[in-house]
Amino acid sequence: MASLDELTKSAATLSNLHIERWKGNGGRVIGSYCTYVPVEIIHAAGMLPYRMRATGSTSSDLGDVYAYRTMCTFCRHSLDQAMRGEFGFLDGLVAFYSCDHVRRLYDVWKFGKVDFPRSPFYLHFMSIPMKSDEETVEWLTSVLGRFRRSLEDHFQVTITDDALRESIRVYNERRTLLGRLYELRKADAPPLSGTEMLGIMIAGTAMPAEEFNQKLKDLLEELKGREGFSGYRARLLVGGGELEDPDYIKTIEDLGGLVVTDFLCFGVRDFWIPVEEDGDPLRALAKRYLERPSCPRMIDYPRRQEFLMNLVKDYKVDGVIMQRMKYCDTWGGEGAIMEWDLKKERMATPYMVLEREYMMGAVGQMRTRVQAFLETIGR
Amino acid sequence: MEDNLKIHRSVYDLIKGATPPGLLARWLGGVINAVDEGKPIVYHPFTTYNEIMVAMDVVSLCCEAWDIVGLQVDQDHAIRSVDAAHEAGIPPELCSFDKAIIGSILRGTIPKPAAIVQAGMPCQNAYITCQAAAALTGVPLFVCDTPYDLDEDGALDHWVNQYKGMIAFVEEHTGKKMDYDRLKEVVEESNRCVEYWLEAAELMKLKPAPRSGPLSQGTLAGMMSFGTPEGTAGMKALLDEIKDKVAKGETAIPEEKARVIWFHFQVFWDNPLMGFINELGATVPYVLFDDFRVEPVDTSSTERMLRGMARRALQSPMGKVGCGKVEILLDDMLYAAEQWKGDCIIIGANPGCKWFTGAYGLIRDACRERGIPLMLYDVDLVDRRVTSAEESRTRVEQFLTTVMDR
Ligand code: SF4
Ligand code: SF4
Repeated sequence: MASLDELTKSAATLSNLHIERWKGNGGRVIGSYCTYVPVEIIHAAGMLPYRMRATGSTSSDLGDVYAYRTMCTFCRHSLDQAMRGEFGFLDGLVAFYSCDHVRRLYDVWKFGKVDFPRSPFYLHFMSIPMKSDEETVEWLTSVLGRFRRSLEDHFQVTITDDALRESIRVYNERRTLLGRLYELRKADAPPLSGTEMLGIMIAGTAMPAEEFNQKLKDLLEELKGREGFSGYRARLLVGGGELEDPDYIKTIEDLGGLVVTDFLCFGVRDFWIPVEEDGDPLRALAKRYLERPSCPRMIDYPRRQEFLMNLVKDYKVDGVIMQRMKYCDTWGGEGAIMEWDLKKERMATPYMVLEREYMMGAVGQMRTRVQAFLETIGR
Repeated sequence: MEDNLKIHRSVYDLIKGATPPGLLARWLGGVINAVDEGKPIVYHPFTTYNEIMVAMDVVSLCCEAWDIVGLQVDQDHAIRSVDAAHEAGIPPELCSFDKAIIGSILRGTIPKPAAIVQAGMPCQNAYITCQAAAALTGVPLFVCDTPYDLDEDGALDHWVNQYKGMIAFVEEHTGKKMDYDRLKEVVEESNRCVEYWLEAAELMKLKPAPRSGPLSQGTLAGMMSFGTPEGTAGMKALLDEIKDKVAKGETAIPEEKARVIWFHFQVFWDNPLMGFINELGATVPYVLFDDFRVEPVDTSSTERMLRGMARRALQSPMGKVGCGKVEILLDDMLYAAEQWKGDCIIIGANPGCKWFTGAYGLIRDACRERGIPLMLYDVDLVDRRVTSAEESRTRVEQFLTTVMDR
């Protein structure tokens, strides 16, 4: 499993060999805090899109000078790392109103309270709509046009329509390949664990898309000879917001649950639904990013909940674990709404909300709750 | 439902006989009547003015105002709803205003709507709440998508389109039709209300302050009765009261030793807190929730009027400083401190109000740079269990003593 090992290794640190090589060749890296940023535009500018994490952070002391204690701990740790200068590989950061925490985190960056890796550092904030309809697609198309121009102006590059189309093709290929991996997980004995899948997904946000696609192809080949996971107690779906720690899933899987699918941003919400390859590329991007399975920052009730229920059916899920960062409002509300809806379903899928902090602290408590949950499922 | 609304019915019974009828009586009576007669009710948050509904003769229910009314006669009203929301799985760290709305729906202590609209709310709590409300009531929801920066190219057009979408939505789900001539009358009425509001806010800049504490009538007019003669009359009465005081040379307190800029909502369950501040020798000439610095809406054509209304909807108190960049919040805070001649700033925010608490570091820096004493503290606006009245007073007293000793 050489590809799997390499991918999961790439996910284990903030930076990795791929990023170092990219930087060594004079490449630029643009960070973003969320999956709603159309990475294709960054890619078409010849730059490497990087999804912001806080991997390896052990404290938020410095970040807490600007991040209040009611900010989610992911934001506090990520800010801490930025203030400690650990994102030295970044040439810019792009954000939007993902949640009240992230937008204020961006403000702290903008006010120069972090250790900027280089000057002038590229900073851009986008007005990404919170709902999807004809009018918001038009609006987002214009917003993306301004994002494109601001990258061009700042870095003195040109982003042609052809380059955008090529980037869309590359990322669509990635979506197809990831789709094939997920398809394998529908099997009674899936060849990948949830822990491994999360590592793969994270790696994909921290390496060149072409290299990632190649690794996925290799992995699909390698998996052909792999014996699947069987003997598990229950097939689980893990959902929720920021989760970038495969050990979290591992704790669940060590207790006998097998995570066969997810509703995560390092998961299905990142790659589901391709971008149309014909027509105006910016419009196609706007449409795809608004129509993809939404996160609760979007006003999308009940479509989002229906999507989750379909995953439950398609992946033969026995139980849903909704993990949520403490203080996260969006997932806090969503956790409850999902529960109300799942209870309404005749099949009433067992469901649990697990609150967590960025750093895995109370593992014992988490194990007890998951154990009890698996028992409720009856396995 | 009859029994569940008893708190609000009892408030209405108390105030309905007043002549002329006050704005609260008009609004509450309208909602109660709609419940009794089965007329469609539309929920909206406090940043979504009800001129559209008034013009369409649709009964509008500002959810936050509903719970505030309940609080005035029963301090536990909102707490019971907050607890009901917690029991249904809503986590404690969401804004209590929102938890109270969700809990009131769960308890049936707020009338069921025919539809829900939302424009210009500053936080994710509100977006969660309207979706939760739609899930619990099963009624359709329309949220206007708010551009983050109204100065961005095309942002106002996008926002106006959203606003028009809201009108079409209300038409579709209430069976009523918008009469634009009627809307013009309503907006002219709300323009008058705003004029009085601005004049009152201007007089509050006088030193010493003629009055202290929130201009509640003005805010309530905006929340419940914008564009109605009662709303305007309520605001006019407040303005006349302040003018009268100024004419007579009366001041809020005999000796004003400090002026407090209260840069958030007032604490709705603790009205006497403002009086306590007065007893310490300080006044509160500015409350963020009253800050409604807007242009009158141009009603010379329907298009201009809709643009003006849409723009105004993004300049509501809280909405303006919350919907976009942190610079707007910081600039407005410093502007308020300068214009209302504040000696200090107090921000008592809901711990759940993350767009605000998330800016605390930058707020602190801005105040430090300008030498403005600042007090930040957690106080829940509807739930008195988070910070008690005594704790609030101790903190405020310690802070103001230092400010006045400077
Ligand atoms: S976990 Fe929640 S609060 Fe934290 S960044 Fe994500 S959406 Fe925002
Ligand atoms: S108090 Fe703050 S968090 Fe609560 S509804 Fe208002 S803006 Fe949102």
